[in-house]
Amino acid sequence: MAKRSVLGLYTEEDSAADALDNLREAGFEEGEYEILTGTPYPEGTFGEAEPQHHLFRWPLIGAACGFTGGLIITAGTQLAYPLITGGKPILSIPPMAIIMYEGTMLGAIIFTILGIIFESRLPRIFMGAYSEKITEGHIGVTVTTEEDRTGDAEDALKKAGAEDDIIRGWE
Amino acid sequence: MATDAAKAEQYEVVEQPYAETDNSVETRKAVSDKLLGIHNITSNRFWQFAVLTGIMFVFGIIGLAMRLNSGFDDKGAWGYYVAVFSFLMTTTAAAPMVAIAPRIANAHWRRPISRAAEIWTLAGCLNLILYIPLIWLLPSLENGRRSLWFFGQQESKGDFWTGFESVPAYSPHIWATLSIVALILLGLTLVWLSCLPDFAVLREQGEGWRKKWGKRLALGWVGSTAQWNWQHHRMGIVSALYFMMLVFSHFFISVEFLMVHVPGWIDSLYPITHAHNALQAGVATVMLTIFCLRQFGGFRDYIGLDQMWALGKLMLALSLLWVWFWFSSFNLYWYGKKPSEISVLELLIKGPYREIFIAEFLLVFIIPWFTMIWNPIRRSIWGPTLIAVSILCGTLLDRIRLYVGAWDVAGRDFASMYQMKLSEVPVKIPTPDVADIFLIVGFIGGSIFLFMMATRLLPAINVWEQKELLLYKAEIQYHRTKVTVLGKSR
Amino acid sequence: MQEHEQLSQKQINDDLLRDVLTVPKWWLPAVTVLGIIVITGLGSFSYMVYHGLGVTGLNRPVMWGFFIANFVFWIGISHAGIMISAILRLTQAEWRRPITRAAEVMTVFSLMAALHTPLIHVGRPWRVLYWIFPYDFDRGIWPNIRSPFVWDPAAVGTYLIASSLFVMVCLLPDIAILRDRSKNSLVKKIYAFMCLGFRGTPRQWKLQTVAGILLSALVLPVFVSVHSIVSWDFAVLIGVEGWHSTIFAPYFIIGAIHSGVSAVAMLMALAVWLYKLDKYIKPDHFDAIARLLIVVATTWFFFFFLEWVYALYTLEAPEIALRELQAFQQPYAPLFALFIVLSFLIPVPIWLFKRFRRSALVMFWTTVLVNIGMWLERFLIVIPGLIRRTHMTFDWGTYHPSIIEILIVVETFAFVALGMLIFAKVLPLIPLFDVKEGMVFRHVIKVGRKTIPASIREGLPHHYYEKNH
Repeated sequence: MAKRSVLGLYTEEDSAADALDNLREAGFEEGEYEILTGTPYPEGTFGEAEPQHHLFRWPLIGAACGFTGGLIITAGTQLAYPLITGGKPILSIPPMAIIMYEGTMLGAIIFTILGIIFESRLPRIFMGAYSEKITEGHIGVTVTTEEDRTGDAEDALKKAGAEDDIIRGWE
Repeated sequence: MATDAAKAEQYEVVEQPYAETDNSVETRKAVSDKLLGIHNITSNRFWQFAVLTGIMFVFGIIGLAMRLNSGFDDKGAWGYYVAVFSFLMTTTAAAPMVAIAPRIANAHWRRPISRAAEIWTLAGCLNLILYIPLIWLLPSLENGRRSLWFFGQQESKGDFWTGFESVPAYSPHIWATLSIVALILLGLTLVWLSCLPDFAVLREQGEGWRKKWGKRLALGWVGSTAQWNWQHHRMGIVSALYFMMLVFSHFFISVEFLMVHVPGWIDSLYPITHAHNALQAGVATVMLTIFCLRQFGGFRDYIGLDQMWALGKLMLALSLLWVWFWFSSFNLYWYGKKPSEISVLELLIKGPYREIFIAEFLLVFIIPWFTMIWNPIRRSIWGPTLIAVSILCGTLLDRIRLYVGAWDVAGRDFASMYQMKLSEVPVKIPTPDVADIFLIVGFIGGSIFLFMMATRLLPAINVWEQKELLLYKAEIQYHRTKVTVLGKSR
Repeated sequence: MQEHEQLSQKQINDDLLRDVLTVPKWWLPAVTVLGIIVITGLGSFSYMVYHGLGVTGLNRPVMWGFFIANFVFWIGISHAGIMISAILRLTQAEWRRPITRAAEVMTVFSLMAALHTPLIHVGRPWRVLYWIFPYDFDRGIWPNIRSPFVWDPAAVGTYLIASSLFVMVCLLPDIAILRDRSKNSLVKKIYAFMCLGFRGTPRQWKLQTVAGILLSALVLPVFVSVHSIVSWDFAVLIGVEGWHSTIFAPYFIIGAIHSGVSAVAMLMALAVWLYKLDKYIKPDHFDAIARLLIVVATTWFFFFFLEWVYALYTLEAPEIALRELQAFQQPYAPLFALFIVLSFLIPVPIWLFKRFRRSALVMFWTTVLVNIGMWLERFLIVIPGLIRRTHMTFDWGTYHPSIIEILIVVETFAFVALGMLIFAKVLPLIPLFDVKEGMVFRHVIKVGRKTIPASIREGLPHHYYEKNH
């Protein structure tokens, strides 16, 4: 069945936290609801679970790729056409170290960026239920669930004092 | 004003939330009582370790006497001696920077560890004892030897030198003595200023000899606003001067006691490298100290993960800087292929000291860097501590490699001070004799002994800074979570 | 930060997006003037391409002149962005919030200016294209990785990519705000595409925070390596007096930080005056950056002193002759004196006084002086050494920059300014979410009659403390 999302807007942090409590009581699971804010808040402000991520794997993989690439470029090119320049050996460690280091850092950074985008669950093609008021300071609580449960979600949101119009969207 | 009011109305200003701190008299007294309670207890284990380090210190004095007895003619025999002197300057003299820098940055994590860092300056008095014989060993400028005090270098003529012909032949000696004495005096002043309010606490709440000495050293401290402001400003000035004097001392030692003895070793970066090594070793020294205070000193509630994590991050950055400084010098020498510079590389890195260099490289960079990039290791108690041990061992090896190597060639025929290049590299590392071993073991033990004895009078954790933290720290309920709110003290 | 107003999110959006969503009156004339200067510079470059490098003042033995000094200068300016952004992020300094993005964007455009200068300097830059595509394997050689000129593009390219990606990732939340605020549907769609669907979930905010710290930690070593490698373009050579000094790497870096942080202070003053951002960039911010500058300037001066002392310590006559040329002989002596005075002797004593540190006007003009002095410093490193490059006096040369070189150098300044103005028109120069986060995290503590500014500090998760007690 297609999933629908509903969004309740609040002006107070405690109301949004109450909404999360109501949703838990109504039987919604952790992955079915989310807080949307226009600014970062301290972790746990709304009683939400700490988001788990594996971002730290990405720079390690990227660094390994970059290091390998740097090694291949430096060692490979010099061994392919060995020509002594400046009296230095064919495989000169200090210059190789410089380029391998830059390759390692570039790989780590590019993979970190990819990791950030991926772990943030982006790009998101469909916004679902969303309101432009969120970036103006409102706090949104969005629930993504089957269509037949959206009524319960709306009741839980309204009970915590959501603004009159609950916004609905498709996932 | 009407315009300001009108402007203010246009803006949606939101009220700032207040955080309540727990700064009651009872809480402050509890902090004092707890810290003094720990301070007043001296366990048997403490005395056992003090006796052990005291015995080591005695051996150090014996080693010193043996070395003095060997005379000043053979510079090579003094290599390990100078290495020990440099190692102590690198560790004990740089440790107070762990108190100075975070205090300037207003970082609250330094509060439980700043006193331990400052007390290490007392061990700096040993540096002065070790320095005295070196005054006789340092060559004068009479024969035109290369020195930073280039006025005395008669060989290079030209318009630039006019007017700089008569220079005291003992310029380096004067400046070196002034810098070391000034560094120690500044360090002692810093620790006294930092301890003033705690001496007052000992005067009021201490017992026996601590009460007596607290009264003498507190000098009428009553805690008035004027006194606190005076203390704060003076500590700021003394801290800044200490840092500058530390850099100058390392600048001086690295040239006059090290580079000057090796013909062709002209490394403009080396004073900075030497000072940076000191910072790294100083942080490692404090890390090891606070670990011992936490595990054996009863300060588990005060020295915790925040301190270890902060120092761990510093050690990570400093390890990376170590390799950068080293590579900056090495790359230039390797690339330029100037014979004078290649000889220096041969002496200190590729030749007889290769294995020591590899070991040092592992201990000071590879192991710290590749372990401390892992969060679980950096965010633990044991991880940064073991890395600190690695760094200290590596630094000792580094000092032995450089100073033994440099003093080994000093005074030899092929390394005359007038030559521009080292024409021959020794094939063997001079073996340390009994005196050298006594010196290394004895003076390292002696520094620890002095530190331990100092903590009998000076509280190892800064009582007044801990009480000050109560003013600026609040644990509050922030909606559905608990957070810590920290204020800036000044 | 004692001066502070706690503003609402809507107010912050209004203030900081005002000049993105509308066009300030001064913007078009400024862009036009800068555009003309850029076009003039490009025209000069075209003239140079047509007539050859002989239209510049470059000639044996001074093969590097204005262009290379300018290249080093812009690499230097680019360092401040990441320095301010990364180091202040890692140390959790609250005062960084309004200035990080402007500094990062300045880094990106400075790097672009730095990169196009050596391309212009080579005289026939199009050869890079048909030399690489397709690669001529018949020559039997790959690019020589032992050359610093291969290390340079590796480092500067890495830094440019890293800085650009850093800016883009940290822009996502602000582009989301622009998406929500835009009225024009096409503009809205473009912003929606650019922000990748950012919605502001706790996961996304946490990753923004972690990203900021992780990328800062990754970019800092790159920042250190870039200017080290640029310095090694000079320092690895033994044939030019005054260059072969091991201190060049940290000396260049500290000089870069000095000029770059000064440039950031200039930007702050311009932001306050042009964009009316006095509610966000306060005298406290100028005070903080000035104190940083005092430390940086003093450290830089110490490194400069060390570099000179060691040059004399060598007792080598050619080295000492070079120093005499730089400091005492025409035409370099006045430039040398000017450089010392402008980089250190005027600004630093002024910055020692709090009332001057807190003044945007004083900070602007002192930092302009610093940057003039630092440009002269790069000039004095590059050219005097080359003038007496050989030991045969009949091969000694002179250097007089031509109008073509001057116009191209001026073009680089206009290029950076133009780039920043266009950026500020499309995307906000002050990070909105960072400022809003500062507002959310900010508290006050009352100590007796005094109100102390405070901030929520997010340390390690609680389980770390429980496990390690």
